[in-house]
Amino acid sequence: MAASPQKNLFGGGRQRLYPWLLLLPGLGFYFLIGVGPSLATAIYSFTDATGIRGLPISWVGWDNYDEFIFAGARSRDNLDALQRTLIFMVLVTTIQFAVGLVMALLVNQKLRGRLVFRTLFFVPVILGVAVQGLMWKLFLRPGGGPMHEIFGLFGLESQFLGGPNAFYWVVVVQVWANAGFTMVIFLAGMQTVPADLYEAASVDGAVGWQLFKNVTWPQLTPAVNTNFLLNIVGSLQAWMLFLVLTGYRNGTNVLGYVVYAEAFGQTAASSFRQGYAAAASIVLFLLVLALGMAANAVVGRRERKYMS
Amino acid sequence: MKKLRLRRLLAFLFAFALIAAACGSSGSDNASTDGGSSDDSADDSASSDDSASSDDSASSDDSADGGSGLEGTLRVLIHQNPPGVEFMEGFNADFEAANPGVTIDMTVVNADDIPTVNQTRLSANDIDVTTISVTGFANAVQPYMTGADSPYWQQLIEAGLLMDLSGQSYLSNYDQAAIDGSSFDGGTYALSLGRTSYSGMFVNTDLLADVGAEMPTTWDELVTACEAVKEAGLKCAVAGGQDAWPVFVGTYGLLGALYPDQQALVEGLWDGSVTWNDDQGIKLFERYDYYANEMLDAESAGLTGDSAAQRYAVGDIAFGPMGAWNAGPVADNADFAWEYIPFPGSDNAADNQTLFGKDDMSFAIAAETPVADLAHAYLAAFSEPDSYNAFANATNYLPTQPTAALESALGTSIAPILQAGNFAIGFEQLFVGPKGAGQWANAKDGSLWMYNGDFTDPTEAANQAQADLEAGLGG
Repeated sequence: MAASPQKNLFGGGRQRLYPWLLLLPGLGFYFLIGVGPSLATAIYSFTDATGIRGLPISWVGWDNYDEFIFAGARSRDNLDALQRTLIFMVLVTTIQFAVGLVMALLVNQKLRGRLVFRTLFFVPVILGVAVQGLMWKLFLRPGGGPMHEIFGLFGLESQFLGGPNAFYWVVVVQVWANAGFTMVIFLAGMQTVPADLYEAASVDGAVGWQLFKNVTWPQLTPAVNTNFLLNIVGSLQAWMLFLVLTGYRNGTNVLGYVVYAEAFGQTAASSFRQGYAAAASIVLFLLVLALGMAANAVVGRRERKYMS
Repeated sequence: MKKLRLRRLLAFLFAFALIAAACGSSGSDNASTDGGSSDDSADDSASSDDSASSDDSASSDDSADGGSGLEGTLRVLIHQNPPGVEFMEGFNADFEAANPGVTIDMTVVNADDIPTVNQTRLSANDIDVTTISVTGFANAVQPYMTGADSPYWQQLIEAGLLMDLSGQSYLSNYDQAAIDGSSFDGGTYALSLGRTSYSGMFVNTDLLADVGAEMPTTWDELVTACEAVKEAGLKCAVAGGQDAWPVFVGTYGLLGALYPDQQALVEGLWDGSVTWNDDQGIKLFERYDYYANEMLDAESAGLTGDSAAQRYAVGDIAFGPMGAWNAGPVADNADFAWEYIPFPGSDNAADNQTLFGKDDMSFAIAAETPVADLAHAYLAAFSEPDSYNAFANATNYLPTQPTAALESALGTSIAPILQAGNFAIGFEQLFVGPKGAGQWANAKDGSLWMYNGDFTDPTEAANQAQADLEAGLGG
């Protein structure tokens, strides 16, 4: 006897359209807010749009891309910003990953006050970028700021955000601001590791580093992969801390900041060039896409290895 | 089944009501938007019916309140400048009292955000009177600036978003230079409310006398005075290094002293007859280097622009290379005699007589404001000599009305300079970089580069500036 076909949850006839009708508002919202602007940005990147109502918009073909990548010293500055973005990504991803993991390991111990430390480590995440920036500007104030005093104890001097190492201080702030989020994801992963795995490993004589290497780390694979991807994408898109901490300054700009500055008249020319900025943002998007896909391939392989 | 249909109908009506509510607010603003020029102001004044439906409407019907006949809400935007904001709040209160039907809705934004806010609010027709610029209109793209991008204020005018104020009677209260500085392509699109000098420095004359130094009139004399001050265990100069930009404010004077004709400098850089790395350019960068690394005290690194002025007022620092806008904190706190003089950057004392600066806060009216008559009345009231004089003295702007005069210590100090006609628009307001020029092409910031350690060799910095400029010029 053949199995009877499964009855459609919404019935037959026109009622089969109901699921699609119910999805329509969500899909419409997604296309309106997500896909639409993205497509519009891609189209704008081939125009000389300014974003100012009343000015004509002309199709300029690949001119914006040509200018961004090949025109004069400006293209060198853009490629420097691109390189700086990649350096920022590598540094932030690596350090934030390590710091978040260490913090998670610490607050996962059965120690008194661990809840307080979990909260303290996570607090920077809930502060806005402006607050984070203001706090660190005060902390890094040359001539009297706390970090200046600490440096003074070792006979060191620095202009911090005003000096040639300003870029690296922004890396520090970015890690401080987001390591708590990385920690939480690791912590959630650690708390799903079955206790009997540790017991079995202990019976086999594993201690300390061996427990971490052979039990915790493999079991953390989903959390590791999630953090890896989030850190890469987050650091590639980060630019607001640069806005708050250093401003539009030679030698510190990352690609996201270049997009903002060109689009909203924040460069020396104080001209609105939203078509050009759209081209820059498409370059940034392609970078995020390529690195995101590569990272996804790596973590996917790792996940299959450990979780199969 | 009937119940189901009823529910569907109710759900549909509910969804429709939500969408209508969400869209409703966007349609209520500015029903009358066909006004532009002042000639159209009568048309722009909404009828009494319109008044009932929109807060933004204004009426010229004198019978409405028995006062000036003006009514409605005027949306005004100004930039953050504490004394200026305080004055405007008082002015607005007085204007509202004199015009009982009028409400002023004033927004204050940071100066850096003015371009963005103007772009969005003018494009959305969401502002009536705005601060269009704090730099004046001097940097219009000139015919020889091939391919250069227009500054945002020029884009707004070309888009037809700013009203041409030509012919308005209140313009006659201002000097011709102010009108010229607010004009573009045959129209006057702004009202320059004041000028500011950014190329001078405060000099503690008591301290100089104590260490036996003379008031410097040339670069060598400045260096000599600085060394004498330091040998006496005091500090030569201080600026707001933490904010970065105040560092190069003082050296606008250095640039101006070495290139007294700033317009010719801009044109020369474009046509190649002047280069950043010729003899004069190298000299400029060497002096930038001395200024940044010898004159400025290390304490500058921890000071913002405002706090540097307050620190200077303590009295143990000889020179304060700062903008004239810092005169307030200096005057309020200094217990010593001081003067504000042009930065003596040249070896020739005659070239060190000019204060360079810019037109600062400039008001404009949105071309499509529905309350054009109210906006004009607001600017006219502001432009009344008594009102304007109070504004200039509150903000320490150098007046753009010939009848106004600064009564402050700054005003006294610079009165001879202004009376001699020694005020000029500076390089910052004139220079437009060629497309494709690199980030080091604008050497006005050179002292900051030396201060930040971006370069340690002045010649290398000068060469880089010229290379970045030539990259845009196609050289």
